[in-house]
Amino acid sequence: MNNAFIIGQYVPGESIVHRLDPRTKMIIIFLFVIVVFFANSVWSYGLLTVFSLLCALTTRIHFSYILKGLTPVWFLIVFTLLLHLIVTKEGDVLFRVFSYPIYSGAVAQGAAISLRFFLLIMVTSLLTLTTTPIEITDAIESLLQPLKKVKFPVHELALMMSISLRFIPTLMQETEKISKAQASRGVDFRTGTAKERIQAVVPLLVPLFISAFKRAEELAMAMEARGYQGGEGRTKLRELKTGRLDISVYALFAVVVILLFIIRD
Amino acid sequence: MATTTKQSSNLLKLIILALLGTISMMLMFLNFPLPMLPQYLKVDFSEVPALIASLIFSPGAGIIVEAVKNLLYLIYTGAGDPIGIASNFLAGVLFVVPVSMLYHKFKGVKSLVSGLVTGTVVMAVGMGLLNYFVLLPAYSMFMGWESMSDQVKLVTVTGGILPFNVIKGIVIGALFVPLFIKLKPWLEKKRMAAS
Repeated sequence: MNNAFIIGQYVPGESIVHRLDPRTKMIIIFLFVIVVFFANSVWSYGLLTVFSLLCALTTRIHFSYILKGLTPVWFLIVFTLLLHLIVTKEGDVLFRVFSYPIYSGAVAQGAAISLRFFLLIMVTSLLTLTTTPIEITDAIESLLQPLKKVKFPVHELALMMSISLRFIPTLMQETEKISKAQASRGVDFRTGTAKERIQAVVPLLVPLFISAFKRAEELAMAMEARGYQGGEGRTKLRELKTGRLDISVYALFAVVVILLFIIRD
Repeated sequence: MATTTKQSSNLLKLIILALLGTISMMLMFLNFPLPMLPQYLKVDFSEVPALIASLIFSPGAGIIVEAVKNLLYLIYTGAGDPIGIASNFLAGVLFVVPVSMLYHKFKGVKSLVSGLVTGTVVMAVGMGLLNYFVLLPAYSMFMGWESMSDQVKLVTVTGGILPFNVIKGIVIGALFVPLFIKLKPWLEKKRMAAS
């Protein structure tokens, strides 16, 4: 567990992307994920790449930082590319690696699909880079409103998510405190056989669960005392607003999509 | 908590499940890959809080904890691997629900152990089938791989998914049984208060 995990991936900033309504970001990303699958030519991929890079640039987050966030998926991207080079047998033989033929179709397909995957991951990661977890939760609550009609507990879900987010740092500290306390009593978390290490987790989890329940009881009491009565008529500290900026971003995205459908094969 | 109204016990339950979901998500980051199995298959203890919730309340509570855990994970790490997150949720549900159903029927340590065994089998077989028919095809579509041949899928399922889920079930069980024995009196008290 490290510090990066407490704050998530969020990078504070004042850029246009940071200031967008989180709902706008989520809707556009959702549509982008669908639209990417319609790209099928050099030009259409080029258009989407330019659009994604523009988005990344406007966040004013250092590009190397964005790429660093993608480390876990580099492996998958490279693996996909290699798989295509080996398996696909279309087009002419371009060159041979140790007498194994590499086809032009394989290079084209592998490159296109790796690029597609790269764009998908980069654009979705822009959301977590420029939006706080709380904003994302608010946006999810607002976007799921229609589900209230079918009795889906939207408000309860959002409440649970905000409580969870609020308590991540608290419970992390708690875990650290307990593990230090138990280590000072002689519990060994790091060495020993697999079985011993599994069982060393028990004295960590018992106090953690009990204190979590105590906290829950206190919080429930405090919320009741302040008159919490469920979602009806509850006001918000942070209101989500769709402004002029959001509308122009939607318009820009619409232009990109229309262009894409014109230039694709 | 005998004097609390129905509403506040609902709120309390909601908060408890949220906190258990948080602990679950924290435990998810303490994962360790198993030797001999591919890198994306990792064992963690994130199922334990969901088990606790499902034993105190109901199988549904366990499902909610699993959902909170995976939503938090999604919000924190981004949507790079949506199918992985969906699989984690499905595996968790397939494991927790049988354990809790058996436990609520018979109670006691013995029924818990048989529940954990059943849960492990249900999870391993269920995830094997889901991977063969849904998840692996979805992966290969998402990644643009040529759709996998049945033979490749069969090897992945029998050589990776099945043993992995069995080992995962055994590891979680090895932790959960001693934990449960320690927590039993306290759990019983909480269950009385909840019902």
